[in-house]
Amino acid sequence: MSPTTNPPALRLAAVSKSFGPIDVLQKLDLDIAPGERHAVIGPNGAGKSTLFNLISGLFAPSSGDIALNGRSIAGLSPHRINRAGLARSFQITNIFHRLSVFENVRIGVLARHRVRYGLFRSVAHMRAVNEESAAVLARVGLEPRADTLAGDLTYSEQRALEIGMTLTTGAEVILLDEPTAGMSREETAQAAELIRSVTAGKTLLMVEHDMSVVFSLCDRVSVLVYGSILATDTPERISANRAVQEAYLGEETS
Amino acid sequence: MGSMRILALLAVLLALLIAVPPFLDLSWQNALVNVLIASLFALAFNLLAGQAGLLSFGHAAYFGIGAFAALHLMIAVEDGLAFPTPLLPLAGAAAGFLAGLVAGYFATMRSGVYFALVTLAIAELLHSLAPHLAGTFGGEAGISSMRMPWQGIVFGSMLEVYYLTLGWVMLCGLGLWAYTRTPFGRLTLALRDNEQRVLFLGYDAHRAKVVVFAISAMASGVAGSLLAISNETANYSLFATDVSAQVVLQTFVGGSTVFFGPVIGATLFTLFSFLISDLTRSWVFYQGLIFVLVMLFAPTGIGGILYELVRHRRQLDWSRLAWPALQSILGGLLLAGGIVYLTETAAVLFGQDYAMRRSGAAGALPPYELFGIGWEPAGVLTWLLPAVLLLGGGGLLVAGRRQIDGVRGRRSAPAADAAPLGGTP
Repeated sequence: MSPTTNPPALRLAAVSKSFGPIDVLQKLDLDIAPGERHAVIGPNGAGKSTLFNLISGLFAPSSGDIALNGRSIAGLSPHRINRAGLARSFQITNIFHRLSVFENVRIGVLARHRVRYGLFRSVAHMRAVNEESAAVLARVGLEPRADTLAGDLTYSEQRALEIGMTLTTGAEVILLDEPTAGMSREETAQAAELIRSVTAGKTLLMVEHDMSVVFSLCDRVSVLVYGSILATDTPERISANRAVQEAYLGEETS
Repeated sequence: MGSMRILALLAVLLALLIAVPPFLDLSWQNALVNVLIASLFALAFNLLAGQAGLLSFGHAAYFGIGAFAALHLMIAVEDGLAFPTPLLPLAGAAAGFLAGLVAGYFATMRSGVYFALVTLAIAELLHSLAPHLAGTFGGEAGISSMRMPWQGIVFGSMLEVYYLTLGWVMLCGLGLWAYTRTPFGRLTLALRDNEQRVLFLGYDAHRAKVVVFAISAMASGVAGSLLAISNETANYSLFATDVSAQVVLQTFVGGSTVFFGPVIGATLFTLFSFLISDLTRSWVFYQGLIFVLVMLFAPTGIGGILYELVRHRRQLDWSRLAWPALQSILGGLLLAGGIVYLTETAAVLFGQDYAMRRSGAAGALPPYELFGIGWEPAGVLTWLLPAVLLLGGGGLLVAGRRQIDGVRGRRSAPAADAAPLGGTP
């Protein structure tokens, strides 16, 4: 649908962020094409979470610009960035624990249907919203658990719900923050398959430690070390990159 | 439980509320008016505290503002303004809503403890300002007015006031219940659980919280205006901390996780003060004690317990539970008896009257009268009785609870979250 002349789905231009005297990110440049699946890897403390928090609007960058489909979103509040078409998941599961699984998803679907603050209709009678919520649950494999309280789900189910909620608002650019963190090998493979299917046709930016997930899922990888991007390339070339090996992969891959 | 059965139950309750009051005396009618007002106030408060997870310690502000707004309108009606008396609470609703928008805008910038403190500060501000603003709040004396007749209804008798109050409380209660079923009502619960995620799903969380706050303040304002209509007067003491505290106690004793829980608490406490405050000056102490005990042993409140019982009624083995339950209730009653005995004895022995009698008796301990019986302060029976009540009652209660736990398979009680406000409607 989008010709190659279109602006990148996500562009970071000289983005810096400092907390007091500490420079967490320094002059970061990154272009992500529409439909690309892009991973950010890097050692702990490299600034991956800060990067996600800047893009999704939790913090404003100290300098530089962030553009979504060619429109600047730097410094906007999270709900505005979400409405502009970017959704994110969280490293630490961030769901509505005391609501049912179905209702967790429906909150996001309601936002997409622009009935955010509807006060004069019964939500039970909104057929389109309820059907779409059920469809999202089906896509992440949680349909049988629709009436369970989200807090009662198993860990990997909660991670699936986390991804499902990220999909609900209809965003075209998806940020996933360590979607397979804390999962067993088997669960990780399932999660990677889930991510592949649900983000088909969308732009994906993910922080991921598991190199097998990165290799199987992503078109390009950026290596973030000490707040700067050391290299951006295909997974194969990144793993062959000597500087990357020294800085990061040599220590962590086994 | 089917929703038909709930509707039938509510219909019976409503029929009783309509049919019984004409046969009651004036003081009971007045007490029921207060029960209805407190119920609406607690429901309004719980919209914020229980559903949005925003614990306000200053809800007296919006209750009071509603009362004053209604009184000002009543004064205008007295002076000839053509406004139907039954619609007076609209003034309270409007004033409460506006005050809620302004106060809520600032209070909801923060959450948790800071939110609570800002709401407390706003109410305290009104409480200390009101006596100095003679024009608006009538100084320390407050302002008064009269209910004017409308369309042949005189509004002179307490019964007429009662039906007016009943109508408004039913209307607002139903409205607040319907609210929980709307998209915004579901969003309110999501805000309670995880405000950050709400923000990242594309909602302006702050704006949503301001609206919830304003709706809660609006319903509180209606409750306040109903009190103003009933009393025909109001003064700055409506803004006092204990008004704010009462609604917190009532809501949490009644159960903030169940929609109608606050009504239970409001009814219980209002009737408690109506029935007990004439009998003993320690009633506030008992009220506090009930609150502490409920929070310690049944944090979901009375409504939460009832909800769990109804929900699990088929799984529970009633034939085996009945006896331990009876035993626990008996133990609890004995324990309560012991506590009341000790409290009232202390009230007598450390009271001013007794101090004077002691100085008259040159420091000796003269006998005293309590519960219509004479007691010796140093008598064996005087202290053996409470000891037996406390130990016996406590023992029965502990043993009964242990048996109940045994029957229920020592499963830890399901958490509060299983309540209907959390589930799918």
